Amino acid sequence: MDELKILLVDDEQEFVTTLAERLEIRNMNVSVAMDGETALRIVQKELPQVIVLDVLMPGLNGLDVLERIKSIDSKIQVILLSGHGSTKDGITGLKLGAFDFLIKPIDIDELIIKLNEGWKKYCESK
Amino acid sequence: MKDGKNIVKANNNQNALAFFGKITASMTHEIKNVLAIIQESSGLMEDILTMSDNTDLKNKERFIATLDRIQAQIQRGINITSNLNRFAHSPDNVQERIDINDLIQQLSILVSRFAHLKKVELITELDNSPFIIQANSVQLQMLIFNAIEIVLKHIENGTLKLISIHANEQLKLHICYDLMTDDQFNCISACEEWSLIQKRLLEIGIQLLIGSDQT
Repeated sequence: MDELKILLVDDEQEFVTTLAERLEIRNMNVSVAMDGETALRIVQKELPQVIVLDVLMPGLNGLDVLERIKSIDSKIQVILLSGHGSTKDGITGLKLGAFDFLIKPIDIDELIIKLNEGWKKYCESK
Repeated sequence: MKDGKNIVKANNNQNALAFFGKITASMTHEIKNVLAIIQESSGLMEDILTMSDNTDLKNKERFIATLDRIQAQIQRGINITSNLNRFAHSPDNVQERIDINDLIQQLSILVSRFAHLKKVELITELDNSPFIIQANSVQLQMLIFNAIEIVLKHIENGTLKLISIHANEQLKLHICYDLMTDDQFNCISACEEWSLIQKRLLEIGIQLLIGSDQT
């Protein structure tokens, strides 16, 4: 089994870099992107297996990015992230192929469980 | 002509509510982002403290205990902003399908501050199954809020319990105050606004009751 490569995508720089640091402390391999265009470039270059993707971002929104990621490699597992209490975006995202949906702020232990589940699903679909 | 003016006025009111709702929802989203950053930052501090040797830092346990308190307050902030966000979305639809139990639960959190100022603890005891009605969410919340506000005007200390019970096609909403005196009960029951609220809630299938318990 390859090493799990994670990509975190969120336009809130402080949030995404701090979360990345917390995952790195737990020996995880993490890249970050602050917008959809950068995220897609990293996906092409580094091929992360699991992506945590904010829904509401300036420029390309999370759902647009999700569709493009799936067209690059449908095996990549995407966990959507939203600040809204509403599950509307989550349901739309799941229909577009997202693996799961979390509402901000997130619990790190719950996130790690989801990341491992996403990785397992990625490995099974190879 | 008068009807036309009323329609314009109603539309203006709806637009004003929608405007306030949209801005408030947007701001709660921003506050949630701030809370998320504080949460991750305090989480990172806790991670670093947990990793460090006990000899690395004096008062390590006190730092961890303080971070726990910060985390608890972040959770409190998240609950408040989540409820405020849902409340801000209330004017999105003029008429919508509403689970009244869900609405009472959300409203109780938003109103708890008003109760706290009267040293009253506000709690809910809601029917387990959803009770769906077609209504204007803003107007319905205003009616229930006004009912709670009338009760709070007449009481101090004690516990105010919002109890919902499904009965046939109706929902009984009991507002129970554990220290209710006869005078307080009579004042609230005789209040003209209270009767008006009861009447309007009954029109949408909610029977509003007041007492020291639900009997």
